[in-house]
Amino acid sequence: MIEVDHVAKRFKLVQAVQDLSFGAPDGHITGLLGPNGAGKTTTLRMLAGLITPDAGRLSVDGIDVVARPRESLARMGVLSDARGLYPRLSARENIVYYASLHGMPRDAAEARAETLAHMLEMTPLLDRRTDGFSQGERMKTALARALVHDPPNIVLDEPTNGLDVLATRALREALRLLRSAEGGAKCIVFSTHIMSEVERVCDSVVVVSHGRTVARGTVAELLAQTGETDFEEAFVTLAFAEERAAAMEPTV
Amino acid sequence: MSGPSGMQTALVVFRKEIVDALRDRRTLLVVLASSVLIGPLVLLALSFFLAGLEARAEKREVYVAGIEFAPSLKNYLERQTYSLKAAPADYEAQLRAATLLDPVVVLPRDFESALLHGEAPVVEVVSDSANKQAEGGVARIQRLLGGFSRERVSLSLALRGVSGEVLEPVQLEERDLASAQTRATQLTGMLPFFVILAVLYGALSAALDTTAGERERGSLEPLLMNPSQRAALVLGKWGAVACVSMLIAVLSCMSFVPGQWLLQSDRLKALFQFGLREASLFLVLLLPFAATLSALLMAVAIRCKTYKEAQANSAVIILAVSLLPLLSLFNEGESAWHLWVPGLAQNALMTRVLKGEGFGVEQVLVPLLVCILLSASCIVFIARRLRDAAVR
Repeated sequence: MIEVDHVAKRFKLVQAVQDLSFGAPDGHITGLLGPNGAGKTTTLRMLAGLITPDAGRLSVDGIDVVARPRESLARMGVLSDARGLYPRLSARENIVYYASLHGMPRDAAEARAETLAHMLEMTPLLDRRTDGFSQGERMKTALARALVHDPPNIVLDEPTNGLDVLATRALREALRLLRSAEGGAKCIVFSTHIMSEVERVCDSVVVVSHGRTVARGTVAELLAQTGETDFEEAFVTLAFAEERAAAMEPTV
Repeated sequence: MSGPSGMQTALVVFRKEIVDALRDRRTLLVVLASSVLIGPLVLLALSFFLAGLEARAEKREVYVAGIEFAPSLKNYLERQTYSLKAAPADYEAQLRAATLLDPVVVLPRDFESALLHGEAPVVEVVSDSANKQAEGGVARIQRLLGGFSRERVSLSLALRGVSGEVLEPVQLEERDLASAQTRATQLTGMLPFFVILAVLYGALSAALDTTAGERERGSLEPLLMNPSQRAALVLGKWGAVACVSMLIAVLSCMSFVPGQWLLQSDRLKALFQFGLREASLFLVLLLPFAATLSALLMAVAIRCKTYKEAQANSAVIILAVSLLPLLSLFNEGESAWHLWVPGLAQNALMTRVLKGEGFGVEQVLVPLLVCILLSASCIVFIARRLRDAAVR
């Protein structure tokens, strides 16, 4: 369970996040939907303890991220925007390296790498060096690496960026499995700017714009709230309300 | 879940970085070839040069132009068991082109008559200071011709019933206090420089790869999303880089031991004593220095977003470390403060080892202390910068 409560972060000239709140329960995929520059990546970095928020509180399974960053990270698997691999190591070595950093014994780490490779359909890749991997292969390896310690909370920053249809589908399947009871009923936070992703995979959506939470609910609830039938229209109405109002003003 | 201890984390990172660095075969080979072999190769080239000089001195040959004008000089030179060779007509061009490797004695047409009339004929010793082999023979020829002059003087004085000793009211004798090894350092003085460079280049690629390289690949951000202490991550990385650099240091020092067996020059062979003892003393100085250089390079590179930027920035360190030894050349010898400057201290103490003087524990303690302090501050700096560096 992840809770983000009224966080704010300012970089020198830019107010990246103003007042952002959402909660993500277990066994549930929560979509963080917003245009580019809305503050999604900054929020997820704050969640991972890489950036300290100016205000507000973030917690993972009740553990305060700022006060106890290492404990909260141990309960989280993060696939960040940067998903660099070590090109001279094989996919397996990349995954096992992270397992060791989590303190897992060698054989458990190896076994876990096999299980994840099976789930993400990347078994043939395991013993190849990651140098020359395709985008999809990289994403799978990075995801396996993030999930190696079987975390109850999973945070994914634009995971479908650069993926083809098949890879996107495989990822979607994997996320559905992880959400289900047999997959561990994980709490999954999924940031994206792609509507169809949200419609297909997310149980609920948090719409973010200009560093603020502007709407929350299921896709159906958001459609009802805006009175639209098309989710893209609903999103534009919610996310760009300010711009629309500003554009309307001179004509009024 | 308690998570691994800092020590365990550092060990995991260390192991991974070592594997990563050793798999970078191409870089490793280039470093090995360029920095480990260059020292012995230079030594070898030097020995060929000296062997050439020695061989020429042993041959006892003098190139003369116009010997037919100076039968008395010819007689003298032959009595000194020198064989006379006629200089080629184009000796000036040949000397410039370094195809003629001996200086040429040029005698004037009126040599003999001027000598008889006491008019001091001008004898030229022609050489080219860019032609090092010929230049090396000039002093020998000058001594030889000086001997001729002295003989003439004593003869003419003897004819007038004066002892030759009046011309030498003072007896001049040279006494060189330098031991054989000290004399050798005039030639082998650049070896510490090569060894230090080897250590530097050994650390360079690994240091840049684990910091700026990690940033450029985008693997630093995910790395920091593990529940690891940052200091432990940095310690593991530093340990690995330092180990690679130390390995290069060991190989570089040890390469001089077999390197000297190949020496061509008997003189250099006799003077240049580099055995296991010397190699070990070098390593006592170099191993801590390698660790410090690794930390220093990493501290510079962690501020850089790309490998390329880090390379440009680390040029400052490379330049400083390569130029510092020159200080001791300009300032004529060592001062006490040299021991406090990393690079300069190692250079000064290694030179002492080559001179056969060695060094005391107290002289190693100062550079060691400097190395420890510098490494520690670099590591603290890197650990502090790590989080900001991860977020691009």
